[in-house]
Amino acid sequence: MPEDAGSEVAELQRELEAAYAQLVEAHKMASLGRLLASVVHEINTPIGSILSNNEVILRSLEKLKQQLGASRIEEALDIIEIMKSLAAVDKIACERISSVVRGLKTFARVDDSEWRKVDLNESIRNTLKLAGCEFRRRVVVETDLADLPEVECLPSMLNQVFLNILVNAGQAIEGEGKVTVRTRPEGDCVRVSISDTGRGIKPEYVQRIFMPGFTTKPVGIGTGLGLSISRQIVVERHGGSIDFESEPGAGTTFHIRIPIEHPRPAEPNRS
Amino acid sequence: MEKNSQPAIVIVDDEEMVITSIRAFLRLETDYHIHGFTNPEEAVKFMEHQPVDVIVTDYLMPRLNGIQVLARAKDLQPEATRILLTGHADKQSAIQAINEVALFQYLEKPWENAALLLVINAGIERARLIRALREKVSELDAAHSNLKDVQSRLWGVFL
Repeated sequence: MPEDAGSEVAELQRELEAAYAQLVEAHKMASLGRLLASVVHEINTPIGSILSNNEVILRSLEKLKQQLGASRIEEALDIIEIMKSLAAVDKIACERISSVVRGLKTFARVDDSEWRKVDLNESIRNTLKLAGCEFRRRVVVETDLADLPEVECLPSMLNQVFLNILVNAGQAIEGEGKVTVRTRPEGDCVRVSISDTGRGIKPEYVQRIFMPGFTTKPVGIGTGLGLSISRQIVVERHGGSIDFESEPGAGTTFHIRIPIEHPRPAEPNRS
Repeated sequence: MEKNSQPAIVIVDDEEMVITSIRAFLRLETDYHIHGFTNPEEAVKFMEHQPVDVIVTDYLMPRLNGIQVLARAKDLQPEATRILLTGHADKQSAIQAINEVALFQYLEKPWENAALLLVINAGIERARLIRALREKVSELDAAHSNLKDVQSRLWGVFL
């Protein structure tokens, strides 16, 4: 019966969508997992400082007590200066750690899977906190973020797109280089452009980079799903566009355009 | 360098906070001269002019990495003790450091102050012993060539 067939198709469609959502989630977790080593490194330095400072401050207080007891005021003042400098370092160290943690939170949030109006500049900044752990000391990040209208989107998914492309940009750079992120309002869209000074995309790969499973990275580094998932999120879920310009040996720029208003009919019905 | 002068320690880390923490700790516990550099190139420049007992450097830094810094230090002041203090713990950089720059210690972040001080103190002792040995050897050389001189003059008298 055609009605049965119809509901079967709808059923299969739902299953397919659910499977795809799971794939997207799994890929997000895989990206985060790969970033983890750099994130740990990024957090270890401030933790090392705080641990050391704590110990030194305790020892300083002891000395301070002795010196005050013996009325050695000059030396006591000296120690107070040391302690002040350590308190200042602790503040910076804590800010560093919480900034990375905020970056992680934007990805771990499950409640962010609903359509919401957000400032994409904020998403970019949070994503850069994570991607930056991987770049540090090797890749300089430059941002040129214009004032943007809020965009109706699935924030967690777009963050994933930005992370994918930023990580790719970093991996395309051998040795030192630069990644530039630019945002601009553009008619009824917002454009995010991510450029790198990396090795570029070979002409023979240009046709295939959005194909699922296509990767030039070694096993264990790339799944070949990053760009295909990114394209799916941008084009199919948001009705936007993703394209790139690349010059082998000079670098690549990806342009992502997201409509400010979410085109309602494109959203699949879920019940 | 005078034998009894205060030890000079160079600390290189592109994170100001690491330098501040180590400097505060050493200031409290020792009377060493601490020279901190966030720019590895400046640290190398410093070592071109100033004698140093121990150099402690981070690994991952812009422009020069820790092993490159230590390699330059080894050329400039071979007696100075070389220590790597890194949050980037990978076997490859450790092996490279040991093989290429004759590393004295490989320490990981987060570090333990007491252990760091032990290593630095051992490093100072080592640097000073090597310097003292160098001096003795050159004194011996001088004495030896003096003797040769006397000897040849003696021969001159008799022959």
